[in-house]
Amino acid sequence: MKLSLAWLRDHLEGDTPATELAGRLTAVGMNVELREPVPSDEVWDVDITANRPDAMNHRGMAREAAAAGCGQLRPIEVLVPEGGVAAAELAGLEVEDTQSCPRYCARVIRGVKVGPSPAWLAERLSRCGVRPINNVVDATNYVLLDVGQPLHAFDLRFLAGRKIRVRRGTTGERMTTLDGVERLLTSEDVVIADAEKAVALAGIMGGADSEIRFDTTEVLVESAFFDPILVRRTARRLGLATEASRRFERGTDRAMARVGADLAAELIVRLAGGEVAAGVLDSSPTLPAPHPVALDRQRLCTFVGCDIPSSFVLPLLAALGCEPLVAGDQITCVSPTWRVDLELAEDLYEEVLRHFGYDRVPSALPVASTEPGKRLGSWPLTDRARGALVLAGLAEAVTYAFVSAEQDVATVGSPLAQRGEPIGLANPLSSRLAVMRRTILAGLAEAAAGNLRRGAQAVMLGEVGRVFFGTAGRPREEERLALVVAGRLGGWDRQSQADFLDLKGIVEAVLDQLGLSEATWRPATAAVLAPGDAAMIVVDGQEVGIAGRLADAVVAGVESPLPLWVAEIDLGCVAAAPQPTMRPIPRFPAVEADLTIRHARSLSYAELVSAIHKASPPWLDDVQPVVQYAGEGVAAGELKTTVRLVYRLADRSLTQDEVNQAHFALMEELARRLAVSFQ
Amino acid sequence: MATELLHRSREEFLAALAAAGPDPEAVEAVRVRFAGRRSGLLRDLEEKLKTLPREEKPAYGKALNELKKLVEERLTAAAEAASQAKFSSGLDVTLPGRRPLVGSLHPVTLVRQEIESIFLRMGYSVADGPEIEDDWHNFEALNMPPDHPARDAQDTFYLAGGMVLRTHTSPVQVRTMESQRPPIRLLIPGRVYRRDSDLRHSPMFHQVECLVVDQGITFGHLKGTLEAFLHGLFDPSLAVRFRPSFFPFTEPSAEVDITCVLCRGKGCAMCSGSGWIEILGSGMVDPRVFKACGIDAARYTGFAFGLGLDRVAVLKYRLPDLRLLFGGDERFLRQFGMGVPS
Repeated sequence: MKLSLAWLRDHLEGDTPATELAGRLTAVGMNVELREPVPSDEVWDVDITANRPDAMNHRGMAREAAAAGCGQLRPIEVLVPEGGVAAAELAGLEVEDTQSCPRYCARVIRGVKVGPSPAWLAERLSRCGVRPINNVVDATNYVLLDVGQPLHAFDLRFLAGRKIRVRRGTTGERMTTLDGVERLLTSEDVVIADAEKAVALAGIMGGADSEIRFDTTEVLVESAFFDPILVRRTARRLGLATEASRRFERGTDRAMARVGADLAAELIVRLAGGEVAAGVLDSSPTLPAPHPVALDRQRLCTFVGCDIPSSFVLPLLAALGCEPLVAGDQITCVSPTWRVDLELAEDLYEEVLRHFGYDRVPSALPVASTEPGKRLGSWPLTDRARGALVLAGLAEAVTYAFVSAEQDVATVGSPLAQRGEPIGLANPLSSRLAVMRRTILAGLAEAAAGNLRRGAQAVMLGEVGRVFFGTAGRPREEERLALVVAGRLGGWDRQSQADFLDLKGIVEAVLDQLGLSEATWRPATAAVLAPGDAAMIVVDGQEVGIAGRLADAVVAGVESPLPLWVAEIDLGCVAAAPQPTMRPIPRFPAVEADLTIRHARSLSYAELVSAIHKASPPWLDDVQPVVQYAGEGVAAGELKTTVRLVYRLADRSLTQDEVNQAHFALMEELARRLAVSFQ
Repeated sequence: MATELLHRSREEFLAALAAAGPDPEAVEAVRVRFAGRRSGLLRDLEEKLKTLPREEKPAYGKALNELKKLVEERLTAAAEAASQAKFSSGLDVTLPGRRPLVGSLHPVTLVRQEIESIFLRMGYSVADGPEIEDDWHNFEALNMPPDHPARDAQDTFYLAGGMVLRTHTSPVQVRTMESQRPPIRLLIPGRVYRRDSDLRHSPMFHQVECLVVDQGITFGHLKGTLEAFLHGLFDPSLAVRFRPSFFPFTEPSAEVDITCVLCRGKGCAMCSGSGWIEILGSGMVDPRVFKACGIDAARYTGFAFGLGLDRVAVLKYRLPDLRLLFGGDERFLRQFGMGVPS
């Protein structure tokens, strides 16, 4: 909020230098963010927190400055020169809904002459960011900025029946506000009405019909206290935030409703002439009993962690208007009518502490049991997955958890994305960020394509994060790992375009780290992947991941110049990391024998290896691929696969005879079981 | 004796050549120094021959010739060895190696893990919770009832059915206090969402919050813990400043500034000339929050604070734009490796 230093000083006895004043206010929580010198004054921009509507005016800020040791707050002097006719004879007041409007005060002024405001007043308003309009309206705005009481001036001529009725709006009711916009009302809205129609949105904005004009002579000044929640709801629904609504919705001073009416009446007569009618229309002159708050100084000191003497606490609470009554360390305070944030002892602790100075409290570390801290929830799992990505050479990326509806549709072809309905945002920032992702692939594909378009030779990106599904109950969140590989892999002089086995090798390295070495790979059809280049990763019969080449349509969608090889794994299948124990290192040498098998393409490598193991003694330690060949010399639909058989016994060396026997038995058995031949 | 001089020169030459190793430039330097035509040592020794008494000349001349021969032979051999070393079997050791691709953690992960390690060492546990939250956990239990003005400050993404994308990690504080008795010492990192996007804001970002609840927790403890943490995270010489502020869930609340990490307090563009950088929000847990979570506020006190991990990454790694973190640009992501172990 913008404040004038000279105006602030009007309320302060004493001559604290400006810099000290700004420093003290900042120190107690009224952050003076900007000081702008203007002729014979300074304009300050002060950041006022949402709990302090009482400080959103010069007097409130001056009170804070006085409490912070910068002088004395001057009392308000108001003397309204009243004429002979009673206000009650000139206008009527009826508050139908006292809950939404606990207090409504009004003054009537007759015989005013509307014109421009004097320069000093117009200048003060301008400096605080309020546009001067005419002397009557400016007077109300001046009082608002002066003491924080929002006011509204009606042209009494246009109030039908010369009457104010505070009531709820009726559904379908319409009124045009000062800004010329026709508003459709509901029964949630509080309105100021005359005998016939709504003439103002209570606490937000007046109506166009009854605004002050150049020929206005009779003015009714409203100075009320409205329910903060109702003002806020209407202001939000209509998207109308005004100087008045910002204050009412945070909470104004019920006592100030009366004082504000008087101040405004006095100022209007001073600026525009005329006569103030005798008396005030006041719907509720008696204030509710003040709310008491008890404070125990010992407890305060325990809470803070150091001693704060009574000689500091009591004058401060008095300066803040809390009227402290002392009995030993027990202090009974009241919550001042202008403070909406003082209910509990802790609220007073804050008052004392921020004025005492946070920096004066000695720092200490809490003494606590020495139990070691643990990483809980999914953190051990997700960080293990991140570690796996890094070990496999991937750069960890973080992409947005929301995608466009088109991206969601484009990637829903992944079986992993089909575990629930998409969750849309009710108020997305843009259509590109409108739906919670059901797979990480869309974001990663986009990131990969961006790198390739920027000229990257190779891309290896991974991400660990959540995906979201709408379900019957609470939305479901799953932890996922996804990665994308594309471009030319290998050293600078030995490069080749990434292919399925590059992807699979990386995924296997990741799976190893996650304790999923036993995962099996099956050919798959998934619309998100290109036909023929798609695999399903299966663990214990569960489909936990997919891997393959991203379907052409998706690649085109992200404008990737190269094929994108992707994988996604549901981390829900990963068990807690077991304590690894050592596998014995073989003590005796292995005997290796290569075997080249000619077989139909329909026989997968996994099936071949499985058949080899079945037809071999248990001391066939390992089967490793050596080379696979198709082409010249091999019939179409066939493959030549060379594997290396590693024979090894744990407790002695094998003889060549033993190996030969096993090897030939294996060849016989394979030839008998499968349609294969050997070279 | 003059021949002794020759002997010394010989030793000197051999030592210099040995020191030159297989480096062609060093060998050339040795050649110039000993066999250079203008000012080489051999030339000086030849000049000296003329000044010797006649009877010494034959012995000196013979020894000098032997030395000249040795120098010539050794220099030729050394030059050859040097060029061999450079080109033997065609190897050029200055060619770039074939690097295995080395992975890298995201800057936000690095910053998070660093902060976690500071607090784990102090006996805090690290927790997480759902990113899609209900109104109670994200707002109401944190003293932000419906229609509370403080909700305006947290531009919220709403989902169908009244759920929200959590605007802070504080709902995990609520969930913890609802399910666990004090003492509580907890660190809560996680992903959060706000409807905001510019150089300094991203609609998705990361926070870490800390919650301590126990008997006898004081405001001084909040200060001490924050100082220990910020000194550990940045630099023990940084000043830490506490300013009164307002958060609905803490009372009293404090905004915490540190000396600008860029200009060390002199004033620069990053700190808008103030020399200070706003780094986190903190405070003593509001008793209304305790009440909502079923914790006896008469018995327990506590503190909480929270900061943006992305902002810490911006400060630590000097990022010009927060959105770099979410762009997936490998030229950026691969700069940070595994971070610096703490």
